[in-house]
Amino acid sequence: MSNLIIGASSGLGREIAYEFARNSKNLILISRNLKDLEILKSDLEIKFKIEVNVFQLDFSNLNEVSKFILDNTKVLEKIEGVLFPIGMMKENDNVKNSNDDLISIFSANFYSINFFISHILNIFEEKKGGFIVGFGSISGAIGREINVSYSSAKRALENYFESLIISNLKNHIKVQFYILGYLDTNLSFGKKLLLPKGSPVNLAKIVYKNLNKKGVKKFFPFWWIFIDMAIKILPFSITKKIIKFFN
Amino acid sequence: MTKKKIYSLDKNYSADIFFKRPDKYKEIEIVSSKFDNIITMGSCNSYTPASFRKNALSIQLTKFNRIIEFDKNQKLITVEAGIILSDLFNFTLARGLWVPQIPGYPTITIGGAVASNSHGKSCGFHGTIKKQIKRIKIFHKLHGWLNLSNEENRDIFDLTIGGLGLTGSIVEVQLRLEELSGNNFVTKIIETDSSNDAVKKINFDVKKETYCYSWNRSDSFKNFGKGFVFQNELNVSSDNKLTKNIKLNNSDINKNFIINFWNKYSVFFAQSIYQNYFKFFKSKQHEESFQKAIFPFIGKEFYFKLFGKKGFLESQIIVPFDKTEVFIDEVETIFKKHEPLITLYSLKNFKGDQKNLRFENDGICFTFDFVKNSKNLFFMNELDKICEKYHLTPSIIKDSRLKLETIEKCYKDFNRFKEEINKFDNKRIYKSTLTDKLMI
Ligand SMILES: Cc1cc2nc3c(=O)[nH]c(=O)nc-3n(C[C@H](O)[C@H](O)[C@H](O)COP(=O)(O)OP(=O)(O)OC[C@H]3O[C@@H](n4cnc5c(N)ncnc54)[C@H](O)[C@@H]3O)c2cc1C
Repeated sequence: MSNLIIGASSGLGREIAYEFARNSKNLILISRNLKDLEILKSDLEIKFKIEVNVFQLDFSNLNEVSKFILDNTKVLEKIEGVLFPIGMMKENDNVKNSNDDLISIFSANFYSINFFISHILNIFEEKKGGFIVGFGSISGAIGREINVSYSSAKRALENYFESLIISNLKNHIKVQFYILGYLDTNLSFGKKLLLPKGSPVNLAKIVYKNLNKKGVKKFFPFWWIFIDMAIKILPFSITKKIIKFFN
Repeated sequence: MTKKKIYSLDKNYSADIFFKRPDKYKEIEIVSSKFDNIITMGSCNSYTPASFRKNALSIQLTKFNRIIEFDKNQKLITVEAGIILSDLFNFTLARGLWVPQIPGYPTITIGGAVASNSHGKSCGFHGTIKKQIKRIKIFHKLHGWLNLSNEENRDIFDLTIGGLGLTGSIVEVQLRLEELSGNNFVTKIIETDSSNDAVKKINFDVKKETYCYSWNRSDSFKNFGKGFVFQNELNVSSDNKLTKNIKLNNSDINKNFIINFWNKYSVFFAQSIYQNYFKFFKSKQHEESFQKAIFPFIGKEFYFKLFGKKGFLESQIIVPFDKTEVFIDEVETIFKKHEPLITLYSLKNFKGDQKNLRFENDGICFTFDFVKNSKNLFFMNELDKICEKYHLTPSIIKDSRLKLETIEKCYKDFNRFKEEINKFDNKRIYKSTLTDKLMI
């Protein structure tokens, strides 16, 4: 049995791979960068004596994802669970996006994940078990000027995972969803941020610890829950004024 | 792109730089393509401004920290160059293997150690890290990915080891590992009453695998050179595998206090306490953990912090054996005359052939740390004159104040090295504040 990590070559995905390896779990790693995956595979196999398989796959291309699923049914039937520490941003993602950008951003952050899970659910239902872990973003809490499509896709993903949790309350499939604030990864490297960054190593530990829990939805770092609550409690007419004030 | 102000460890140089820490191979290519002036950064633990330059891009490779291949039978390991020494050793030592020529701080990267041709405590026996390097893979903005070894691109291989990052980013290194014949050390403490006495006791048996260095007093002319020689030998009766991991101290070595605490009185006080502790309270032969013997600065980072915002200066000079007496004589003469404030004075054995800008030669390596003030700068200039007069080898990676003139006189290959770098990198893309000073 193996655990599938999509978006494993860097950032949170890489840390999750190490956490699973430390716990002697075999892995299947997927990302766009084969070279990085191969190096990660060597390191994990040498240090932890586990079995690691890697696949190059671009989640921003739904056709590629669909082909991968068709070509690898045997591989997917053997997985214990799947994690999606994946996120794709583009420069100049604002309210006026091109068709190509919209398709790739929505595919990587929502469609492909949704599509992949739809397929995996059949396998897990047959096996009567399995886990699915998704990662949203606090950017999806409210509309914004930058990363517009990214945050919209993340909001859609949150909604989808809530549905996933609700739909699987009565079976053995375990679903977790984490809404991420600032994480100390390459994306936030060197940026001056208003709040401290969370450690991806710590998050990877939490994810692993919670694998057996049913229907988890959490914020990481935890204090983002208060910001999210404030955003949701305040009427939009006031939020709008606050944003205008800070701009 | 992130902008950042950065300081050399000795605090004598700072610069606003562009900073990137890629974690994917493609990213190294992409960020390199965007800048005309680049330098690769390891952990930025160098005393000198070797891995940054004003308005240039520093590519920090610490996310490239994985093991790519390990062959226990052939004792070979291939690692990404951003791996820090403690991570590398926590893997190899558990398998009874290591690299002996490593610098004395665990957060230093293998890339940094290769680019500075590092040495360890046993350099009189093991020489420098050059001996352990089998293969290197670099990325150069103009040349792309290159494999370097004695068989492939031999000239560039030679320029890269101790080449201060001037041949591009070292991304992979294959190292020959040595077997470890114990997991801790037996340390013998031998008292010395002068610098010459310390040289004699340090140079007692270079054919034996000892990790030998001295600590000498420098607080006054009367005490100059008094102290101890520490001879660490591997404790062969202990298991040859390290069971305890090397632990990093949380203290950031690059941070310092605002004011300088070192003065005539505090140096005298600290050195008296240190000497009396080893003389009266420490047994003359005791067991020491691997971590303590090889990385003596773990937990003692406050030493650097005590120099405050103004920082410090270090001078490290290899003196051939036949010149040690005259060198000590000259140093004592200028010491008596100028009374510099030296916080640390230490010796170790050295072995190697001086080539390119590599800090190596056969002889004794003298290390002095100074508080930064005009009196000490004057003393250091006098030291430079001694180096030039006797063709000694001063360390470029340690002494940020060292003048081009002295380096030209002391490094016979300096001009040839410069020419070859210019030939390889004809647009002179890879540069640092340090190499600007050397006009390379
Ligand atoms: C407490 C302490 C003790 C030390 N003890 C010793 C000792 O015992 N022996 C010894 O030899 N040295 C010693 N040093 C010096 C140290 O080994 C060097 O300064 C080393 O280069 C620092 O490595 P770094 O990873 O911090 O690299 P940086 O300081 O970031 O860079 C140093 C140089 O290496 C180059 N470089 C770094 N990584 C790469 C890469 N991947 N590709 C290309 N170039 C690269 C940089 O461009 C720069 O020229 C010591 C330093 C400290 C702070």
